[in-house]
Amino acid sequence: MTDKIPIQMTVNGRVRAFTVAPQKTLLDVLRDELGLFGTKECCRVGECGACTVIVDGRTVDSCLMLAAEADGAEVTTVEGLADNGRLSALQEAFLDRGAAQCGFCVPGQLMSAQALLAHTPHPTRAQIEEGMAGNLCRCGGYERIIEAILDVADGTEP
Amino acid sequence: MNSQGVGSSPHRAGGYDRVTGLQEYVADIRLSDALEAKLVAIDCAHARIVSIDTIEAASVPGVRLVLTAADLPQPVPRFGPQASDRPVLAVDETKYHGEPVALVAAETLEAAEEAARLVRVEYEELPAIFTLADALAPSAPLVQDTSLRPNDPLAATNVFREHRVAWGDVDAVDADLVVDRSYTFPMVTHFPIEVPAFIAAPDGDGVAIWSSIQHPNWLQKILAKLLGLPLAKVRVHAPDPGGGFGGKQHAKYEPVVAFAALKTGRPVRLVLSLEETFQAMRRAACETRVRSGFKRDGTLVFQDIQANYLIGAYVDIADRVVGKGSYVGAGPYNIPAVRIVARSVLSHTMPSTAFRGFGNPQVNWAVESNLDEGALELGIDRLEIRLRNLARRGDAFIPFDTPADGDWQQTVRRAAQLIDWGKPLAPGRGRGIALGVKSGPTTGLSYSIVRLLVDGSVVVYAGTSDMGQGARTVFAQIAAEELGAPIEWVTVIMGDTLVVPYDQQTSASRSTVLMGNSILKACRSIQAQLRSMAARVHGRPESEISIDHGVIRLADRELPIVDVLKDGLGSLGGELIGTGEERKVAEAAHPLGGAPAFFEFNCTAIEAEVDGDTGDVTILRHVTVSDVGKAINPLQVKMQDEGAALQGLGHTLMEHYIFDEGGRVRNLGAIDYRIPTSMDLPHEFVSEIIENGDGPGPYGAKGMSEGALLCVAPAVAAAVRDATGAVIRDLPLTPERGWRALHG
Amino acid sequence: MNDFSGFAYARPSTVSEAASLLAEYGSEARLLSGGTDLIIKLHNKTLRPRIVVDLKRIPELRRGISEIDGHLSISAATVMTDIARDERIARYFPALIDAVSVVGSVQIRNRATLAGNICNASPAADSAPPLLVHGAEVLAASVNGTRRIPIAEFFVRSGVTTLRAGEFVTAIELPLPKRPIGAAHMRRSRRRGHDLASVTLCCGVDESGLTRLAYGSVGPKPVLALDESGVLADPGAPDEAKAEIFESMFAGASPSPRSMRASPEYRLAMLRVLGVRALRKAIERLEKGRAQ
Repeated sequence: MTDKIPIQMTVNGRVRAFTVAPQKTLLDVLRDELGLFGTKECCRVGECGACTVIVDGRTVDSCLMLAAEADGAEVTTVEGLADNGRLSALQEAFLDRGAAQCGFCVPGQLMSAQALLAHTPHPTRAQIEEGMAGNLCRCGGYERIIEAILDVADGTEP
Repeated sequence: MNSQGVGSSPHRAGGYDRVTGLQEYVADIRLSDALEAKLVAIDCAHARIVSIDTIEAASVPGVRLVLTAADLPQPVPRFGPQASDRPVLAVDETKYHGEPVALVAAETLEAAEEAARLVRVEYEELPAIFTLADALAPSAPLVQDTSLRPNDPLAATNVFREHRVAWGDVDAVDADLVVDRSYTFPMVTHFPIEVPAFIAAPDGDGVAIWSSIQHPNWLQKILAKLLGLPLAKVRVHAPDPGGGFGGKQHAKYEPVVAFAALKTGRPVRLVLSLEETFQAMRRAACETRVRSGFKRDGTLVFQDIQANYLIGAYVDIADRVVGKGSYVGAGPYNIPAVRIVARSVLSHTMPSTAFRGFGNPQVNWAVESNLDEGALELGIDRLEIRLRNLARRGDAFIPFDTPADGDWQQTVRRAAQLIDWGKPLAPGRGRGIALGVKSGPTTGLSYSIVRLLVDGSVVVYAGTSDMGQGARTVFAQIAAEELGAPIEWVTVIMGDTLVVPYDQQTSASRSTVLMGNSILKACRSIQAQLRSMAARVHGRPESEISIDHGVIRLADRELPIVDVLKDGLGSLGGELIGTGEERKVAEAAHPLGGAPAFFEFNCTAIEAEVDGDTGDVTILRHVTVSDVGKAINPLQVKMQDEGAALQGLGHTLMEHYIFDEGGRVRNLGAIDYRIPTSMDLPHEFVSEIIENGDGPGPYGAKGMSEGALLCVAPAVAAAVRDATGAVIRDLPLTPERGWRALHG
Repeated sequence: MNDFSGFAYARPSTVSEAASLLAEYGSEARLLSGGTDLIIKLHNKTLRPRIVVDLKRIPELRRGISEIDGHLSISAATVMTDIARDERIARYFPALIDAVSVVGSVQIRNRATLAGNICNASPAADSAPPLLVHGAEVLAASVNGTRRIPIAEFFVRSGVTTLRAGEFVTAIELPLPKRPIGAAHMRRSRRRGHDLASVTLCCGVDESGLTRLAYGSVGPKPVLALDESGVLADPGAPDEAKAEIFESMFAGASPSPRSMRASPEYRLAMLRVLGVRALRKAIERLEKGRAQ
């Protein structure tokens, strides 16, 4: 009855197939099954955004999604942002602007920023603040993160 | 010479790993054959444990160990940085909501969680003390076992210790105006996004630990003592923590995990939930009564302060917080008579520990607010009254102690300028300004090793913990500057007690100064070796040879270090090794154990708007100016100041624990404990620094990163009063509380 | 192997398949749509179902937002993000946009469904007040067929609706307004960032002068009240007259003294503040709508 379920998903461009117990979340599977530790676990109630990944083009809290729900989906994690070792514009901007302090929230921040810019390439500051509000940063790096996103949006980040 | 050296802002060392997901935090480390652990606690603040039945739990498939106090060495070992009061697991009694009574270790986390649910604890709920009033009531039940403090007259009370600072005679001074008010500061929690995680594994005849700890050497010492092992057999790996803020300074569950590992013979891994994290670390709440005496012209003639800090059931480092925080409680002002009585008061709550600001924010909230109340009654401008009383450089504002070590007037004037102090404001808006000082480290010991390899690349070993403040980068910059290496050629090794030499701790904003100086010394030792190498290779007297960062100067020419190194090391190759020791000796007679190495000084100014109908406070402009001596990495300094300011806004506007009648925490977890999000930023955030090169650290640096938190609350409340007339003396200033203050 | 948190996972592809599963498993089944409420409860073990039924692969429930017979039909698997971006919702039901735009963060809104929000039946559910003001209907299906439930009869108390055993929501329908209406939704929370609401309120004013006020988080279920006097809808009416009407409309409020989020006094005071503000905005929207 609680047999493992066969699942297939494309993660960072690679098709991954495995079986998973129904109660496992997408976060569990990314970390424990696929060894992608970049996506982090913190609050487990969908409040902090440390577990944010992109599923079929939209950000989700992967702690609130059963792995089974992602069957057939395209998933992008922080490990999928760089292109053959070349950092994305956002990743570079985060470094240039000092957006990573302890860094623990940064993978989630990057995924939310990525999705925000994909949908709204030239966001206002208010739109960025609103769009990023699901990613908590206790180190208080929001100003730096917002500046990094604006750099990319304005095209000032090469 | 080096564009990425001191004073510039190269990319954060470890930044690449953080933006690619490669950075390894403790929870990302997977040891093969590790057991997963879960703690068992009861839903009670204070309880007598009648029995613990582990049979059902132990028979869950996959469970390898159910550990209770009965399974530990007897009497159950206790530990703690200030008092060895905290048992590895609760013994006979739990003293705070969340105190673990058992640990389960199993092959999978599900099995451990299931078994943890099946541990049957029979307990009797006892009255819980969780407010100051209850703790200080004459007939209050005692939180701590009296046997832990023999010969201590306070042992019959819940006051752990009383700290007194006094000079002049407060009772004999004449004042034209006395303002006597009380203020409260809430109990708040650190909420690092990386929850604490611990791994312990048998390691030959010793043990290896991985922990998100800020003080690896301190943890090593505690574990060695608890386990009866020599230090060299206790290896502490301390990966960069994901935020600490003081909450990860001291041992928590490493001891119980270590015992579990040794009992099972296998690695044991424990990752706390966020709820458990809230039950493991917090800031002391505080009630402060301030009586300030003024002359008519606003001069402070006395300051009489009583601060009662509510600490947890186990002391942790909380009493030190109280002592150190209250020591400069009267503020950076020249005051002829001061009396400060600060008490650490025990309660049936989770241990309060270090938290950015270390006891200062609580008293500063009260003192700066009281100063404003005095200014308003006297009709004196709130900026003016501060400048009038502010200590000047060199003033012994605390008699016989470290004098004021900065041009603090400059900091304050700059903040006032940036907030447009004195300019007219639209109706419904107000301005506030507050300043504060915090003592840097009072003792210190940091060793470092620097290796200059044959090709000019550098390895630095430093035991500081880089938890976001960017210590790695700062150290790399210092080495790059001194040894002429490009910063990409400098590797900084931290976080392994078997490899990295001793560092006392990462706290008190000390590391740039203490470890920085240590690294500077190690580099200078290498420079000396290079000079003597150059003298030998080129047949010149050493006196003719100088080194200026990456270049060796002989009488007739300049050579890059690498050339001298290669020639000097010869065909066998090799490297040059330098060691540095930076020691700040303890002073037994000093109430803090030593005079502060420097002060962090900050001035914060706020412009705010208040919605009179709802109580919402909008921060229109938040100005923070810090006196930092020298910014080794200006961007990192900005990052720290912004972060500290935001944490300050958290306890000012929204953060607090909520307890039920029995002392249980009601708002564990992220849904009902609110911290600032990106939508809670001030509309305009201005952070600046003052650099006068007047610090004791490398290139005139002082420590920083706590200052910008100190003054947020009083500055915001002052702006709110300026806007509405409402007087706020209790934090947090939530919309509801603002509304109540406005509508009575 | 022993599976402690074990539940089975089913992914039916039709409404009748889902209905059969519910009939078979009864209270041991839990429906999964967005998961933003359910997964938390599965994780902390407040719910331990035998089976979780994922509704998201049923094409009928994934239809999205469509105009049918003078209604806008929002299928059950439609997420808040899509509702917030829908042009027709923006045109006819901007108050619903106000509401769904503040349900949690972007990540939550990308998953949370309107159907799930009402079935969770939190008294603080942001979607409830606009649905009440606009007279929505809930379409429910079971092995016994389908049923329409007026939203005003849907909520009972926290976590409890009038759905019968074996029933689940397939769509929510909003009748397209027959005459111009202006409505606005507002709420109170503890911070600007996403938060659970401590007071929710939606005010709708239509051309005939009828004002509907729905409010939540001040009692076990959201309340709908009507003002047929025309006083609230009249921009020229004196504030005192309006205040009196508001008082009678808020008589249904009974906030819990046990709440951590806000005290009863504050909630009741904020009801009045939000009432005035939402009314003002509703009238603005009505006038703007008339002008177009």
